[in-house]
Amino acid sequence: MKIVVCVKQVPSTNEVRLDPETNTIIRDGKQSVINPFDTYALEEAIRIKEKIQGEVIALSMGIPAAEKILRDAVSVGADSGMLLSDRSFAGADTLATAYTLSLGVKKISEVDLILCGKMAVDGDTAQIGPELAENLKIPHITNVSEIIEINDSEIICRTITETGKRLVKTKTPVLLTVLKDINMPRLPSIDGVINSLDAPVAVENAESLGANKSYIGLSGSPTQVVKTYIPERKNESIEIKGDSETKSEKINSVIKEVI
Amino acid sequence: MNNNIIHCMKEDYIEYLRDESRTIGRAESISFPKNEEEIIGIVKDMYSKEIPITIQGARTGLAAGAVPRKGHVLNLSKLNNILGMRVDSEDNYYVTLQPGTILSQFKEKIKLRKFDTTKWDFKSKRVFNDFCKKEEMFFSPDPTETSATIGGMVSCNASGARSYMYGPTRKYIEKLKLVLSNGDTLTVERGKNFANGRKLELKTDEGMNIEFKLPKYFMPNSKNASGYFVEDNMDAVDLFIGADGTLGIITEIEVRLLKLPEIIWGVSCFFENESAAIKFVEEIRSNQKDIASIEFFDKNALDILKKQKEINPGFERLPDVDEKMKSVIYLEIHTEEEKEALIDLKKIAKIMNDSQGSSKNTWVAKNDVGLNRLIFFRHAVPESVNMLIDERKKENSKITKLGTDMSVPDEHLEKVIKMYKKDIIKEKLESATWGHIGDNHLHVNILPRDNKDYDKGLNLYEKWAKKVTELGGAVSAEHGVGKLKSKYLKVMYGQNHIDEMIDIKSKLDPKLLLSPGNLFEVGKRSE
Repeated sequence: MKIVVCVKQVPSTNEVRLDPETNTIIRDGKQSVINPFDTYALEEAIRIKEKIQGEVIALSMGIPAAEKILRDAVSVGADSGMLLSDRSFAGADTLATAYTLSLGVKKISEVDLILCGKMAVDGDTAQIGPELAENLKIPHITNVSEIIEINDSEIICRTITETGKRLVKTKTPVLLTVLKDINMPRLPSIDGVINSLDAPVAVENAESLGANKSYIGLSGSPTQVVKTYIPERKNESIEIKGDSETKSEKINSVIKEVI
Repeated sequence: MNNNIIHCMKEDYIEYLRDESRTIGRAESISFPKNEEEIIGIVKDMYSKEIPITIQGARTGLAAGAVPRKGHVLNLSKLNNILGMRVDSEDNYYVTLQPGTILSQFKEKIKLRKFDTTKWDFKSKRVFNDFCKKEEMFFSPDPTETSATIGGMVSCNASGARSYMYGPTRKYIEKLKLVLSNGDTLTVERGKNFANGRKLELKTDEGMNIEFKLPKYFMPNSKNASGYFVEDNMDAVDLFIGADGTLGIITEIEVRLLKLPEIIWGVSCFFENESAAIKFVEEIRSNQKDIASIEFFDKNALDILKKQKEINPGFERLPDVDEKMKSVIYLEIHTEEEKEALIDLKKIAKIMNDSQGSSKNTWVAKNDVGLNRLIFFRHAVPESVNMLIDERKKENSKITKLGTDMSVPDEHLEKVIKMYKKDIIKEKLESATWGHIGDNHLHVNILPRDNKDYDKGLNLYEKWAKKVTELGGAVSAEHGVGKLKSKYLKVMYGQNHIDEMIDIKSKLDPKLLLSPGNLFEVGKRSE
């Protein structure tokens, strides 16, 4: 089975430091990690490979430094990585990103299964998985919490929906987005880390992928980000005194003020 | 004058009669002073009435140093402001803070560079502005219990995993301000006042001279937090670090920060037999640079953790350890460049493969997310053992964990581990061992099932204290002596040297009011 796992480089969520003068997030290389949700997708891919054999390719669109996270993916068990990196990809929204990723998947070719994390922790859209599947014209299943059965042509999995759980059986090729419940990602071994240094990581650009310029980067993105800012957070405690009626009125007015 | 500050010991304050050692004491009154002036007022009051004072921080200590026996409890948790910052000509940054500052909060402030500077003087504010532009810094002492106060850490000379590379709290304390038992204040600053041989002269801020002879003992040649720090021509500040609150009340501390290494990687190495793990440690210690910590867990500790994981949802996300594995060695690599760290990893792999291990049986954490998982694993071990003991304590209140804190010089590591194992098996006791194997400093935890086990454990503890002393080691390497280990301090130094310590105390605390029961029993002099 040929499995592609989409991974995104995100800042480490454990520490976000602000520049005191510009109030922007200080991003340095050592804080970049694989998007935590994607690590579950990666782990699931490796478990499938261990169970029924196959090949795992980690795929990412990003700046050249994102090669590091692809090597990280190899260190835990992926066989190779593919980085889609080109200045013209910059400023892509989810639509343009999904299109670009679909070109990567086509380049890899004959893919049976694509695994994505539920969403990225820095964007929170959860759109890439389904949009990528649409681009590839394959089915997708979101919020998968367990893969119950899998073989080269068929998958039975459990998904979590707003109203409960659902068992879904589907034919491959298929794209799944996975939840954190699905597994516990492993840490790499020393051997894994060392081997990943020489692992094959292909770098593709707009030209080598044959990208349509109007579908990539800023020009392919109908979403325009006008401004990004850090929401102002207020931590305040108010003591509310009085009888139940007064208290409930005050609580009511505080809630109204907030929303 | 102090009626608003000093409270009678009532039900509301019952928590303040105990600490993490799970020992329960008694006291008649308690206060939570907010500044030095209040402390001086309280202390003078107690001095005139000859009421003993027990000093408390966050009560996270394991040796009952903060557990009162009688008298007054002086709780410093509200004395928790960060007062200022300075930089020296070599670009070292120093922070002045109050003793109730919580370690985890202090670390967070340094990391995020978020200090409340509104009350700082102009100079400090200017230094802080430069500090914000500098590379990331950190306060290196890292006891497992991060809710400890810095004052408590100074009082017991706390360490942690990373003291293998960076040394204990002592090394990072530049200046202390203390209130003595009569209400006078004393300021001691590193590099300013040295003993003449074994004679030390101090001058209080009020101008009074205090002179005394230092004890004649020689400290062990291993990691040590047992009794007063004493050596020829020592710096005066060192006497007050690790003094367990017996000489004065610390009201201000200046600590030194270090530049945070660019690369911090964690590696857990699993071994199918314990002697291979010990051999690996010895090899790493002799041949491997950039190692900030070398930690150990035995099979019993792993089994207890595994059981807790099955029943406790808080531990659900812990990674599973292969059943075959009998020991874990955790290494932390601190270095400036990734390529150096990779070279270190390759060498570690070779040493492991040469020590009957396999570099395949390792977990590497190369970023904060992974590192936090390994740290969580490390911290979950003592937590799960405490949970097990708390369960047993419900059945039998006498039962408590008997955790050792002894260290020996490098050459005796294997010998001492064999002794612990042999004695535990012979006495048919249950145990779990972990700790700072790089410093030959293991916490052997005897887990009594009944009173008989508990008594057998106590006997073993005393036997080991004697043996460790013979090997040139220390009975307490990082927790401090407090009240629980005072008898082992006597084993280590003998009553004559204990008397010399009491002599120092009586010079600084003539009515012997501060922290009675810590380090020694003042009533039990040899003459």
